[in-house]
Amino acid sequence: MSLLELKNISKIYGGLKALDNVSLRIEKGEWIAIMGPSGSGKSTMMNIVGALDKPTSGEVIFDGRDISKESNKRLTELHRDKIGLVFQQFHLINYLNAVENVMVAQYYHSMPDEKEALEALERVGLAERARHLPSQLSGGEQQRVCIARALINSPELILADEPTGNLDEANENIVLEIFRQLHKEGTSLIVVTHDPEVGEEAQRIVRLEHGKVISDQKNELFKG
Amino acid sequence: MFFRMVRGTFRRQWKKMLMIAVTVALGASIATAMLNVMLGVGDKINAELKAYGSNITVVPQSEAVISKLYEVDDEVRPDYLKEERLNELLTIFWANNITDFAPVTETSVKLDNDDVKLVGSWFDHHLEFVKKGTTYQRDTGIINLRSWWDLKNGEWLDEQAISSGDCCMVGSELAKAKNISAGDEITVKNENNAVTLKVTGIYEAGDDEDNYIYTTLSTVQKLTNTDGLFQKAEVSAITSPDDELAVKAAKNPSLLTGDEYDLWYCTAYVSSICFQIQEAIPEASATAVLKIADSEGKILEKTELLMSLITLMSLIGATLGISNLVTSGVMERSQELALLKAVGAKNGQVTGLVLTETIMTAILGTVGGYFLGYAFAQVIGHTVFSSSIDMNGMVAFIVSVLIVAVTLVGSIPAIRIVLRLRPSEVLHGGH
Amino acid sequence: MNKKRMMFIRMIAASLVRRRSRMIIALLSIVVGGTILSGLGMIYYDVPRQMSSQFRSYGANIIITPSKDSFIEDDDLLSGLSFFPQEELEGYTPYRYENTSVHNMPVTLAGIDFDSVQKTSPYWRINGGRPTSDGEALVGAKVAERLGISAGDDISAVNSFEVTDDMDISKIPDYEMYTSPDTGEQFCDHELSLKVTGILQTGGSEEEYIYVSLSDVADLALTDRGYDIVEVSVAATQDRLSSYIETINSNVFNISAKLVKRVTASESTVLTKLQSLVFIVTAVVLVLTMICVATTMTAVIAERRREIGLRKALGAYNSSIVGQFLTEGLVLGAIGGILGSILGYVFAQIVSQNVFGSSIMFRPVLIPITIAASVLVTGIACLIPIKSAVEVDPALVLKGE
Repeated sequence: MSLLELKNISKIYGGLKALDNVSLRIEKGEWIAIMGPSGSGKSTMMNIVGALDKPTSGEVIFDGRDISKESNKRLTELHRDKIGLVFQQFHLINYLNAVENVMVAQYYHSMPDEKEALEALERVGLAERARHLPSQLSGGEQQRVCIARALINSPELILADEPTGNLDEANENIVLEIFRQLHKEGTSLIVVTHDPEVGEEAQRIVRLEHGKVISDQKNELFKG
Repeated sequence: MFFRMVRGTFRRQWKKMLMIAVTVALGASIATAMLNVMLGVGDKINAELKAYGSNITVVPQSEAVISKLYEVDDEVRPDYLKEERLNELLTIFWANNITDFAPVTETSVKLDNDDVKLVGSWFDHHLEFVKKGTTYQRDTGIINLRSWWDLKNGEWLDEQAISSGDCCMVGSELAKAKNISAGDEITVKNENNAVTLKVTGIYEAGDDEDNYIYTTLSTVQKLTNTDGLFQKAEVSAITSPDDELAVKAAKNPSLLTGDEYDLWYCTAYVSSICFQIQEAIPEASATAVLKIADSEGKILEKTELLMSLITLMSLIGATLGISNLVTSGVMERSQELALLKAVGAKNGQVTGLVLTETIMTAILGTVGGYFLGYAFAQVIGHTVFSSSIDMNGMVAFIVSVLIVAVTLVGSIPAIRIVLRLRPSEVLHGGH
Repeated sequence: MNKKRMMFIRMIAASLVRRRSRMIIALLSIVVGGTILSGLGMIYYDVPRQMSSQFRSYGANIIITPSKDSFIEDDDLLSGLSFFPQEELEGYTPYRYENTSVHNMPVTLAGIDFDSVQKTSPYWRINGGRPTSDGEALVGAKVAERLGISAGDDISAVNSFEVTDDMDISKIPDYEMYTSPDTGEQFCDHELSLKVTGILQTGGSEEEYIYVSLSDVADLALTDRGYDIVEVSVAATQDRLSSYIETINSNVFNISAKLVKRVTASESTVLTKLQSLVFIVTAVVLVLTMICVATTMTAVIAERRREIGLRKALGAYNSSIVGQFLTEGLVLGAIGGILGSILGYVFAQIVSQNVFGSSIMFRPVLIPITIAASVLVTGIACLIPIKSAVEVDPALVLKGE
C-alpha cells in the first residue's frame, strides 16, 4: 500500500486555481522532490500533503484513509503523529533554546523527554549547541534544529519546504546528508524546492507548472 | 517617495496605527479630563465650602472714624448701614465671587415676658436695580447662608410670597421651651412697638441660634424704627487661599509695591475682596471671619494638592501606556524596517519615517482624546458636583505638548532597536 | 512531577524571562493599572480620616454644656471626654466666664488654658504675644478698640460685689471698700492687674472678650467653680461624632454634649464630594488603564501569531495554546498586581506625606483586590486576542514570507 495518494486534487483560492486536477501516488520510503517555478502550486501542494490545508475537490488518501473530509482536529492529530515538517524559515520559537524547541514537538505529540531531544540534536550534529537560543545559532544550525524537531516523533513522512532556501552551500550539504541518512533508515521524504541541485538528490522528481503536474519521473542521478 | 511610504504604512498597517491612535487618545483623554478637573476643583470645593456660612462680615465703621472722615448725615445712625448700599456688592470687581449675602439686625424683644433675641434678615430676597445702564439682579438671603439648618417642621419663610402680615421662623430650643409649632402666631414687643408674627417653621441650627427668632428685615425695621437700615451684613464669597502676598497685604495694602498691589487686587483673596467692599461702601468696614476664611484656605490648598498629585499619577500612567504601545508598535514592524535598511535606507531616513508616522498617528489620537477627555471631565463634574467643569484653554496646549513629547520619548527605545537592526539577521532569523 | 507539566512551566518561564523586553512592556502597563487601583484606593479610604483632621482648623465641632443650671465639674468633664478615642481627640478647651469692669466699662472675662485653645481655635490671629503665665491677658479686638487698649498695656479688671455679714473680706488680697451713699450697703472692689500681651482678631464674636488664665478668673471671682462651656475638637466623621455624643449624654448625667452642626454638616458634605471625586477619578483612570492593558496585550499576542501557527503545525490543540498563553498572561497579571499594590502603597504614602503631612493607613484588603483585579483584567485582555489568534490557519502563517 502506498503511503499517500492524491486523487484529482484541485485547490481554488478566490478565482485562482492553485492546483488543477493533480493526481500523485507516493510510496513508503520514497524520496520525492517537487519542483517548479514560484506560483506553480508547490506550496499549496505541500500544505495539502502536510494536512495543513484541505483541497477544494478531490481525495487525499493517507495510510489508506481519506483525510480530505476529516475535521480540523483530526488533521491536527494526523500531522502531529505522522508528519515532520521542515520550513524554509525554520520557524523556531525564539525564546526557547534548541533542545526546548525540539521538546515542544514532543510536548504536543506525547511526552517531553530531554534525553531523547538531545539525542535528536546529536543526530544533526548540534549536541554542543543544545542550550543556545535561535538568535545565537547560524541559519544552518537553526535549520538542523528544525530537522531535529521534525524527526523527534519518528514520523512516517518528512515534509520539507525549501529546506535549503536560506542556507549557504556548506550548510546545504549538511542538511542533504541528513536527508540521505533518513532515507536510508526508511523514512519517506517529500522535498519541495526550486533548486535543481537539491531536487536531483531525490529518487523521483515531480515538476509542477500552473497547478498541473507536467512531469513525474525517476531521477537517473539518484545515488541512493 | 517619503510620503508615499508613510501613506503606504497607514494603508497596510492601519490596524496597528489605529491601536496606537486609540492608546494616544486614551492617554490624551485622561490628561485632558484630569487637568481640567484639577484646575476646576478649587472653585467646586470652594462652592461646597460655602455651606459653612459667610466668610466676610460688613459692619459700620466705628463712630469716631466716620465723623472724622466724612460729613456725617444726621439721619444715619452711626451703628447702622443703609440697606440700599448693599447693592454695591453686585457692582464690585469680584461680584461674581460673592455667592450670597444678607443684612442682619439683631434686637432683644419680650416674648411672654422673657427676653428673646429677634433677628431680622433677608430670606430669599430679590434684588434688582439699574446702575450706569446695567441691570443687576440677584436672589440672595439667609436661607443659603444657613445651609446647615434643619427644618424641624413647617416651611422655610418665603419672603417673596408673603402677601400680608409678618412671618417668622423659630429656633428649635425656644420652640420646645415655649411650645411653639409651625402655624402658630406669637406676639413680640419692645418698649415702643409690638408685632404679631406667624410662625412658618421651626429650625434646628445646632448652636445658640436655636434660641432665636428669625424674621424678615422689614419686620425688625418696623419694630425698632430703623427703616431702610441694618446692623451688619454677612457675605459669602469664593476666595483663593491666602499666601505670603495676601498676608502682607492684609497688614496694610499700601505697603505693597505697584505690581504686588495689582496682583493682590486682581486675586480673589479674602482681604482684597474685603478691601473692594470697603471701596464701594466707604462707610462700612468689611472683615474676614477668620474661622471660616482660614479653614477654607487650608482645605482648598489640600484638595488642590491632592488632585494635582493624582493628576500627576494619571499622567505618568497615560505616558507609560502610550510610550509602551509606540515601542511595541515599532518593534512589531522591525522586519519591514529592516527590509528598508536592506534596500539601502539610511538610519536617519528610517528613523524619520518611523517618527513621522508615529507623530501623525499621535496627532489624530490627541484630537480624538481631547474631546473624549472633555466628555470625561463633564461626567466627573456632573456626578460629583452636579455642575459642568469649565474647559481651560491651557489644557489643550499642555496636552498637545505632553503627547508629542511622550510619543517622541516612547519612540526612543523603538528607534534604538531600529538602529541596531541588522537586516540579514531579521530577514533570516524567522521572527 | 509530570514531565508534561514540567515542560509547560519551562515554556512559560522561558517566555517570560527570555522575552524580557516585551514582557516588561506588558508588565509595565499592568503595574501602572495596579498602582492606580491600590494607590487611589488607599487614598479613597483615607481621605475622610486625613481631611477631617484638616477640617479641625474650623475649631471645635462639639460643645459641652452643663445639663442643669450649674457648672461643668472636672470629674464629669474627664469621664465625658473618656468616650472619645484618644487618637481622634484633637483637643478641648474649658471656658469660664465672669463679668467684670475694665476702665469702668463692663467686659466679660473668659478664663481659658492658652495652650489647649490653640487646638480648638487654631484660626485665632494674635497681634502681639500669646499669654504664657498668670497675670497676662489677651484682649479681643472689639474690646480693645472700644477701650483703647493695645498690646503691652497694663489694665486692671475689677470685680465689685456686695459685702455680706458672713464674708471675711480680710482674706482678699487687693480690695477697696466703699459704701453706697443711697442704700448704705457696703461694697468691695476686688482688683486684678493684668498685662496685655496681645490683641485677638477672629472676625467673630470672640473679639468681644478678654481672655485670661483659669486661675486668674478664679482669683478675681473669689470662687472656685466649674466651667460654663467646654469646646471639644474631634477628628471624626459626623456619624461617629453623633454616636459619641449619644454615649456621653446617656452615661454622664451632669453634662450635655452637642454637635456644632454648622461645622459638622458642612464638613460631611465637602468630604462626601471629595471622596466621590477620588472615587470617580479612580474609576475613569482605571477604565482607561484597563483599555491600555488590553491594547498592550493585544499587541504582544499579535506579534506571536507565527508562533501560534507553528504550534498548531506541531499538533497543538487550540485549547492547549489558549491555556499556555492565558497562563502567561495570568502570571504576568499576578506579578503586575503584586508590584502594583506595593507601588500603590508607596504612591499613596507620598501623596499623604505631601498633602497631609501624615502617613497613610495601610489597607491590607486592597492587596488581594489589586492582585485579583490585575489577574482578571490581564486574563480577559489576553483571552480575546488569543481566541482570534488560534483560529489562524497555520498554513497561511507559515507560508514563507
